Amino acid sequence: MPWRWNRHVQEAVAAYLFLLPFALSLLIFFGYAFVRTVYFSFTDYNLFESPSWVGLQNYLAIIQDNRFLLALRNSIAFSVIVTLAQTALALVLAVVMNNRLRGITVFRTAYYLPSVTSSVVITLMFIWMFQRTGVMNYLITAAIVYRPVILTFLGLTLAAQVLQVLWERWRGRPAGWFEASLLFVSLVLAAAGTGALWVAGVTEPVAGVEPVRIVWLNTRRTIPEGGGWWSIPLPLAAIMMLNTWTTAPTFMLLYLAGLQDIPKELYEAAEVDGANRWQRFRYITVPMLRPVTFLVMTLGLIGTLQMFDQVAVIGSAAPLESVITLAYYIYHNAFPAGAMPRIGMASAAAVVLGLLPLIAVLIQRRVVERK
Amino acid sequence: METVAQTAPAAGRPRPVLDPAAAARRRWARAALIYVLLLAFSLLFVGPFLFAILSSLKDNPAEWPPRLDPPQLNPANWRAAWRLGKAGGGSGLFGQFAPGAVVNFDVTYFVPEGRTPHPPEVTISRRVPGAGIGAVVPDAFAADYAIVSEVVETARKPAEGGVLVTYSFTIRHDGQGPAVDRLPLDLLVPIGQTFHSATLAPNRIERLGRVQSWNNITPGLVPYVFHNYNRVFNENYSRTTGKNLFLAWIRNSLFIAGVKVLTTVIIASMSGYALARLRFPGRNALFIFILFSMMIPGQVTFISNYLVLRDGVFGISRLFGVDTLLNTFTGLIVSGLCGGSAVFIMKQFFETLPRELEESARIDGAGPLMTYSRIVLPLARPALGAVAILTFQGAWNEFFWPLVALTAPQDKLLLTVGLLNLRRAYGAVALDWGPLLAAAIISALPIIIIFLIFQRYFVEGISFSGIKG
Repeated sequence: MPWRWNRHVQEAVAAYLFLLPFALSLLIFFGYAFVRTVYFSFTDYNLFESPSWVGLQNYLAIIQDNRFLLALRNSIAFSVIVTLAQTALALVLAVVMNNRLRGITVFRTAYYLPSVTSSVVITLMFIWMFQRTGVMNYLITAAIVYRPVILTFLGLTLAAQVLQVLWERWRGRPAGWFEASLLFVSLVLAAAGTGALWVAGVTEPVAGVEPVRIVWLNTRRTIPEGGGWWSIPLPLAAIMMLNTWTTAPTFMLLYLAGLQDIPKELYEAAEVDGANRWQRFRYITVPMLRPVTFLVMTLGLIGTLQMFDQVAVIGSAAPLESVITLAYYIYHNAFPAGAMPRIGMASAAAVVLGLLPLIAVLIQRRVVERK
Repeated sequence: METVAQTAPAAGRPRPVLDPAAAARRRWARAALIYVLLLAFSLLFVGPFLFAILSSLKDNPAEWPPRLDPPQLNPANWRAAWRLGKAGGGSGLFGQFAPGAVVNFDVTYFVPEGRTPHPPEVTISRRVPGAGIGAVVPDAFAADYAIVSEVVETARKPAEGGVLVTYSFTIRHDGQGPAVDRLPLDLLVPIGQTFHSATLAPNRIERLGRVQSWNNITPGLVPYVFHNYNRVFNENYSRTTGKNLFLAWIRNSLFIAGVKVLTTVIIASMSGYALARLRFPGRNALFIFILFSMMIPGQVTFISNYLVLRDGVFGISRLFGVDTLLNTFTGLIVSGLCGGSAVFIMKQFFETLPRELEESARIDGAGPLMTYSRIVLPLARPALGAVAILTFQGAWNEFFWPLVALTAPQDKLLLTVGLLNLRRAYGAVALDWGPLLAAAIISALPIIIIFLIFQRYFVEGISFSGIKG
């Protein structure tokens, strides 16, 4: 029918017009750029002279460059560890947040604060907190000083809880080991008990503790110490903490939306069957959230592989080898301070960086499908 | 108070059942415990910000042990700063040292038994304010116009193990010179005689307690409390144009973010609609290509993009008489018209809209453009809001691409790149944390305020990009 055909053409033309600006910018600033990066990786381009073909030379050069290998190692370690940590933290936050309590949105707002702030600002605050006389070291010092008090408090809580649960059960009332009402009483009792012991002088803060002066950033220490290739530089570990802290809240929102989609009936049925809290979480929540987990991990891997800002802002505050990532390595080779740009090597490294998220997603898909 | 639906007791449980009062008690306790947990997490996420804001007021944010009560938060000092600001000839809010100023200042020392009290030696130093970018030497120093009276002992009070001796002196402006911004003060006393208190708390105590030093004893309230913030704005000027750098950076970032929000909202809604609703050859391929582009880090493609801007987007810019788009706002805008994720969000949203409206419009004879602008777009407000907010946040916080595409001159930088320059300027020797923290907090404030106002859109945006992905 000519009329229908006409309709289709009209629709397609409209679609192309609608898409024109976006497609054009995508083509120039992504498609063309991507192809050119691959091309540059086989040339000796330096931004000024016209490029000439050198085959695989750049790839051989980066493989022999110790800094590249370190960057690759750091990027992969960073990506894997941060993705796992932030996914776990996001899930925990979302489960706590998934309670219909008054004022819960206030907490959601508060949690999301690190995620809206720019990485440059966050990194500046972070360098400040992790300096030798910073808040982090102060908190560690405080934990050492008050260790006896803290341990007493925890011990008393545990004892009070066990006694109360046993008492309740003896009276024929159901009580799990983490029963909240009892735990609340236990905490209050333990606080009172610890206070009394402190006043009585039985448990006291340790006197004469040397202030902790861990150098977090400007150091070549690793975790585990001296582990060679398989150990993580301390500054990188500090950035991992930072990144987990900033991105977990975003993923918490995704999990929260996922949690609210799980039918309540599932939990009710499980409760009738006598499943406890942990079992319900393990056998209902986690499997039902699998699509969200896949998404969160994918976004996490993509995001963490791009880590650049933190390295750039930390700058001279940490040895480059300890924090360098692939993203920074590429930038560093494209615009080296006081040297000719090594576009070929930068592009070769860029191709590797471009492959990483693809590989990561493929592996992840395998794992998810196998389950 | 409502509590969790999950905790409602299920009927027919084979376990012993609690009486209603006990069950209610348990629900209450559980809610209370969850609040405690929520509060603990809040401390984890908000605590660092609050502590950074507090510390940004301090003279030395890197002090050990970190205190929670800096003198800048002490109302007694606010009153003193206000009074001294007025005494110096300025206003209570913003002080100065102007002709006609008469500034009375008291300082009290503790003198241990067996020592003779000694009046402090008063110096008005020619201190240059800190070392920002292109820090300018002030054209006038208070030292050139200040006349210091004799230091007299005005009170002596016995104290445990010694005496507290109060000295007073007056600093006048000679009435000839100009008004000066700051009146710095150094006091020197013999060793053993320790500082006790003064009209205004000193900024530093140095040389084993012998020297007490004030940045400005006629500050007025605002420069006293927000000393570091003042420094950020007053110490950073462009060497070529003399513009106030920090203000310029904020303006640039606002401008670029605003333009990007506009272009993104327009382009993403058009593209998202086409992808979600219109049928055309190559739709799936294009969608996969967009997803692919979202997976690839910007560091993979920036070299070519840098060259494209350098050559004026294939020479097109030469038609407008511009050789290169590097280091221009135009270049930054052209290269970041619309992100793939914004298109993705819009597409996801349009797919959730019921088709009936569009179909009835089509039956009425409306073409795609008409349907889009009259029917679909008005319905898309929540998604557009989400895209706008997320784009603004992304543009405001963007760092890598501006660091490549817009690096000079100083007063054209965006705020994030500017912050990196500040970090270099104040971190050349040892990090001068006061202005750095203050600058970080100022640059975080707009986005935090926008987030607090529009947080619903943030949350929706995240959900749109997530759930159906």
